Amino acid sequence: MPKGSNVTLEQLDENRWRIPRDSRPDMRVDGLVYSSLAMIGDVIGGGALEQVANVATLPGIVRASLAMPDIHWGYGFCIGGVAATDISAGGVVSPGGVGYDINCGVRLLRTDLSRADVGKRLKELAAWIFRDVPCGVGVGGPYKFDAKAVRHIMSEGCAWLVRQGLSSPDDADVTESGGCLPGADPDMVSDQAVRRGNDQCGTLGGGNHFVEVQYVERVYDAEAAAAFGLAEGMATVMIHSGSRGLGYQVCADYLKQLRNCPSKYGIELPDRQLVCAPFESPEAQRYLAAMRSAANFAWANRQLLAEQVRKSLSRFFGQSSEALGIRQVYDVAHNIAKVETHVIDGKPMRLCVHRKGATRAFAAGHEELPQRYSSTGQPVLIPGDMGTASWVLVGTDRAMDESFGSCCHGAGRVMSRTQAIAAARGRHIDKELAERGIIAKARGRNGLAEEQPDAYKDVDAVVEIAEAAGLARKVARLRPMGVVKG
Amino acid sequence: MAGHCETFDHTADMGLSAWGDSPAELLAALAGGLTDVICDRSRVRPAAVRTLRVEAQDIEALAVDFLSRLLYIFAVDHFLPAEARVTVQNRGENEIALTAELAGETYDPSRHEIRTEVKAVTYHQLKVAPEGGRWVGRVILDL
Repeated sequence: MPKGSNVTLEQLDENRWRIPRDSRPDMRVDGLVYSSLAMIGDVIGGGALEQVANVATLPGIVRASLAMPDIHWGYGFCIGGVAATDISAGGVVSPGGVGYDINCGVRLLRTDLSRADVGKRLKELAAWIFRDVPCGVGVGGPYKFDAKAVRHIMSEGCAWLVRQGLSSPDDADVTESGGCLPGADPDMVSDQAVRRGNDQCGTLGGGNHFVEVQYVERVYDAEAAAAFGLAEGMATVMIHSGSRGLGYQVCADYLKQLRNCPSKYGIELPDRQLVCAPFESPEAQRYLAAMRSAANFAWANRQLLAEQVRKSLSRFFGQSSEALGIRQVYDVAHNIAKVETHVIDGKPMRLCVHRKGATRAFAAGHEELPQRYSSTGQPVLIPGDMGTASWVLVGTDRAMDESFGSCCHGAGRVMSRTQAIAAARGRHIDKELAERGIIAKARGRNGLAEEQPDAYKDVDAVVEIAEAAGLARKVARLRPMGVVKG
Repeated sequence: MAGHCETFDHTADMGLSAWGDSPAELLAALAGGLTDVICDRSRVRPAAVRTLRVEAQDIEALAVDFLSRLLYIFAVDHFLPAEARVTVQNRGENEIALTAELAGETYDPSRHEIRTEVKAVTYHQLKVAPEGGRWVGRVILDL
């Protein structure tokens, strides 16, 4: 029974590890970590298990405090953390369970272009996208929205962009929650947050955000791949970004506003970053209204990023976006809190599901899925590191039964950014990638070093755990060709 | 003697670890450290001065709020402080405030190469306290 930073860990089966509720007096439920014998060592050493145990102390938490296979140390919640609280029994909402980058997520576009079409002009194409898609810190986009327009975006998400003629109309259906969460209230978003969002809708940002041109290297589930419009050898584009400064400010504002809630509502917390309030409280309701506004802003952001990518490809290949067969496969949120109904002990319950670095993975037949995916299940988009691969998975019934319909959200870091920069010293990450046939472009000085493939866990191994544990099924493996980063 | 700030490692993010002879000196050191995470602070000129006032209920929250305000003015006004002069006012129980005079300049992409984007200042494992005759602080940033 290994010990990981003061918590007890038991192996349940090949891919499941339990932190028993009685290993700490303040835990209300077990911790359940999805990992393998090969990967659990990094998890134990990384301090994330204590965070799983900390989340297990939240009032109203049901079933277990979960950690997906890409688990690593975050702040407050671990990254890869999933926690659901019973909203009718004093269950809490914790802004730290969503994080600063509210509705950070991934959008995948498919095309009728082949790997060869893109490959023979890859360098030129990467430079083209790098020029056309605003990325990096302090870089505004071509879209400037006044406060009134930002309010519309926060209330209506992608739908407002379509009405304004700023984006094509066919995407909302294949966007999680239709690209707009109900219950958003822009009045709950501070002027400061709005100001941070004015010129950032349609910009990529820095850090691990990217636009990547890829190709479908292998299809694992022909039926699901066909339903998603994917086939081997096809070029795809993946976009990873979130709510930009607007979301960061909303989270910071509400962590501050909720500071006194634990003492007001008699909640004892092991970490200040977990500050929370009962779902029904006015404080939690205000946060949720603001968080939903930021989530809608994030969907609009990815919509405008996709629009710029479409235009860029269209000009580059001299054909319309329609003629190139560019269509959205799906768009998922991986930092969010949502009210969902799940069956707990045979009874349907309304829960507030926090996904912090975790992707919704609903199974076939779920009422929230668009009709075209209702018999396959939801596409689950897993961005990997820029040298290896990204994955498309599909949701399963087992995920519905066990993880509130959730799966991992990426590879998960193993190296800190400083370690990654040190490991890259004297090397040329862009040249190393070029030797593997990948063109990478970044604005920031440390961008490529921090995000080098070695800084991440093996995404294939993470996906193996997710599939073996039954949280999702493999549909397609995507290989990067051209990467644009902030 | 002036305070001092350095970074420490955190898997996904990065932390600031600082000390000073007083809370004010510590906070000033953290401000300088934050600029250094964003870009090379030695290249930021103290060309303009801005004043900030921040209030909070305790010194730890004050540190987070102060650094968060610096991120905000960088995001919105593109202002980078090179130096901060801080004074702290203890105003009784559950009330503490600071005034900061920031000497810096507007971000200029041609001279200030961005090292990384700092999204936010977290409360995770936050510590601001007296220790061994001086004040020490530890803050984790979300990158």
